[in-house]
Amino acid sequence: MSLALPEPKPLTLPPIPADQTARALRQLRWCLTRNTVRSLLSGSRLRMSMILICSAIFWLGLFALFLGGFEFIGMNDELFNGIFESLFSMFFLSILVMLFFSTGIITYTALFHSREAAYLLTTPATTDRIFAYKFAEAVGLSSWGFFLLGSPLMVAYGLTARAPVAFYAMFLVYLLSFVLLAGSLGAIAAIAVANLFPRRQKFVLAAAVTGLLAALVPMGVGLWRTPGETLSSDWLSSVQNRLAFCQHPLWPSRWMSAGLLAAAHGDWWRAGYYLMVLSAHGGLGYLAAAAMARDLYFRGYNRVQGGRSARRRVGLYALDAFFHRLLVFLPRPVRLLILKDLRTFRRDPAQWSQFLIFFGLLAFYFLNIPRLGYAVQSPSWRNLVSFLNLSVTALILSTFTSRFIFPLLSLEGRNFWVLGLLPLRREQILWGKFAFSVGISLGATEILVFLSDLMLGMSPVMIALHVAMVLVLCLGLSGISVGLGARLPNLRESDPSKIAVGFGGTLNLLVSLVFIFAIVTALAVPCHLYFLGQEHPDSTRLALSHSGFRFWLSLAILTSLAIGAIGTIVPLRIGIKAFQRMEF
Amino acid sequence: MIELRNVTKRFGSKCAVDRLDLEVYPGELFAFLGPNGAGKTTTIKMICGLLAPNSGSVRVGGFEAATQQARQLLGYVPDQPYLYDKLTGREFLKFVVEMYGLERRRAVQRIHELIDTFEMGDYVDELCENYSQGMKQRVVFAAALVHDPTILVVDEPLVGLDPRSARIVKDLFVSQARSGCTVLMSTHLLAIAEELADRIGIVDRGRMLATGTLDQLRRQVQHHGPLEDLFLKLTGDQRPAATGSLPSESEPELDSPRLSR
Repeated sequence: MSLALPEPKPLTLPPIPADQTARALRQLRWCLTRNTVRSLLSGSRLRMSMILICSAIFWLGLFALFLGGFEFIGMNDELFNGIFESLFSMFFLSILVMLFFSTGIITYTALFHSREAAYLLTTPATTDRIFAYKFAEAVGLSSWGFFLLGSPLMVAYGLTARAPVAFYAMFLVYLLSFVLLAGSLGAIAAIAVANLFPRRQKFVLAAAVTGLLAALVPMGVGLWRTPGETLSSDWLSSVQNRLAFCQHPLWPSRWMSAGLLAAAHGDWWRAGYYLMVLSAHGGLGYLAAAAMARDLYFRGYNRVQGGRSARRRVGLYALDAFFHRLLVFLPRPVRLLILKDLRTFRRDPAQWSQFLIFFGLLAFYFLNIPRLGYAVQSPSWRNLVSFLNLSVTALILSTFTSRFIFPLLSLEGRNFWVLGLLPLRREQILWGKFAFSVGISLGATEILVFLSDLMLGMSPVMIALHVAMVLVLCLGLSGISVGLGARLPNLRESDPSKIAVGFGGTLNLLVSLVFIFAIVTALAVPCHLYFLGQEHPDSTRLALSHSGFRFWLSLAILTSLAIGAIGTIVPLRIGIKAFQRMEF
Repeated sequence: MIELRNVTKRFGSKCAVDRLDLEVYPGELFAFLGPNGAGKTTTIKMICGLLAPNSGSVRVGGFEAATQQARQLLGYVPDQPYLYDKLTGREFLKFVVEMYGLERRRAVQRIHELIDTFEMGDYVDELCENYSQGMKQRVVFAAALVHDPTILVVDEPLVGLDPRSARIVKDLFVSQARSGCTVLMSTHLLAIAEELADRIGIVDRGRMLATGTLDQLRRQVQHHGPLEDLFLKLTGDQRPAATGSLPSESEPELDSPRLSR
């Protein structure tokens, strides 16, 4: 029923100048950046130093790798001239796809699900201004990794190709234009998804990933079946032919690679031409995204917020019942705590998707070991690779335990009013976390290391040794994360990622790295010296004989067991003591 | 003024707001009451331009809600207010005045006034991440008022405020209304509505059940008890089941350990 009231006369308002809100948002960004940097410098110097040192090491490591690779290619003039355009086109096409997805996802979340966006929509800022502000943030977040990866690549290439100095300035402009174009396309997709498929973003993402896989798998199979001996010139030529689609003239990645190669060779006309094509498309993409935001952002926001109800039932109770039966030997309260953590883990894609991606990539690499020819190399080489694979697995596990296990206690502290009333001793809560962490870690890493050793053709004794090492590593890393998580909790923070990057999380990662280094080194050194001695009995001074190997290996096993026990028990004891004294 | 005509808002198959009519006039303090899930926050979000109605019209100061002009007139305090953790309270207020284009000298003076009014001087130059819930709430109130809105919309205004801050906020609502501002307040605290509101609207399942002054509501419902009973009668016509097992006030259980201790 509508009321028959006279139409009220609108108030007269002085319009807010178009650049007023833009200036306010610029100042907001400046203030936030300044205060964040100040907080970082004053509060978390260890973390800042770690980030800077690790970034520098990462950059230098990549630079050395690229420089070595390019110099190796540079030894063959014919190869040098032909292969780079193909390599760069493929690299930049992959980056284009990744930037498209990452910027799209971040923009979607920032525009349609963040509380900041809801606040800004109640201010006089126009929707395209809000979009511009959030887009800059999304592009920054999605592309910093590309700059970290792309800059050593380009510097190494510039040095190898003896590029003029202007090349280094130009590639920065190229990188910015490329990021702008990829990000704009991602933002356009994000706004379109919100308008066309509100509240179905997971379905859209799954469909996109499936589409991508459908395109990549046949290509991967094709590459796998490339005839000829791996890395021979015929094989390389066939691979280049199969990847020729990366150099299609309409791909922005092709403009990027062709322009940068031209700049490196001092062909400024061609380099400028491609730069103009790329930057013009980047600008056009951004304009299109901003125009789309102006007309469709509010509509999309309303559709996302006003779609079907967010309430939903969750299932998989049969899985829970299975775990209940599987862990029947544990006390019921501990079992219930583990089940609670498992449910949280299962229902939080941020946790299992990262776990799945990292360990999935490792599994993919391990499965490809025969293709890389490692399995036919000498025993010492295979032994070295097997330990490196084990180390990588443990390192990834340590990032998982630092990111997800360490914050568990901090997050639990916020709900302690629930747990504190349960008929449980406090230490049982820690044992529950420990069992949860060990269970998840063991399940993933043992399979991976077994797979790696199988693909490398390692002996059963070495496989058994590696499997036992992984058990020690899982127990230790879980003990460190649970123990330090209880000793250095952050009860004020509700975001686990922020807890993980705080002082406690950084220290946890450092201790985990030292632990991995100690365990792996203790066992890897005698094994390596033994296998080396088997191959070059006369030329290696430190080579171990069979009896010497048995002695040193036994000593190494005992040492690693002792380190493992200390790494598991000491942090847990510290954590339990701290947790029992803790006031919430 | 705020004006909603025949407004309907659906979330999928659920109708959150059902053909709602509402007017709140300049100089009036209107209390918007209703049980959980009644559609109060959805209505407020439509007034603030965060949601668009499926049908009907929402006008703020004569402008369509969600237009820049409507948002210029509006001060909004949501039920879960947002503050930038890495800004100080003062920086946040400066951002708001910059956003609304206030003249610099007037803005500085207004920020100073509000810092005094809400007694924020001790902490306004610290980062918001260090604030308690009540401190945050006071900053958010100041931010909603710093640009002198002609329409103030507040969702659950007293959550997290200590009695002194609550008193300040209540006085401020009344003074805003008396100075000609349109104030719409959604609350579960019936005593606040009874104490402050010029008019009260009771909504349930997205429909406006009754509007008017407290006396008008009593006449409409033919119930002359306190607002709580009137509210329960309108929204359920019975006391909640949990109260059924309690002993009556006139006959306390003398054997109960709590009373005999």
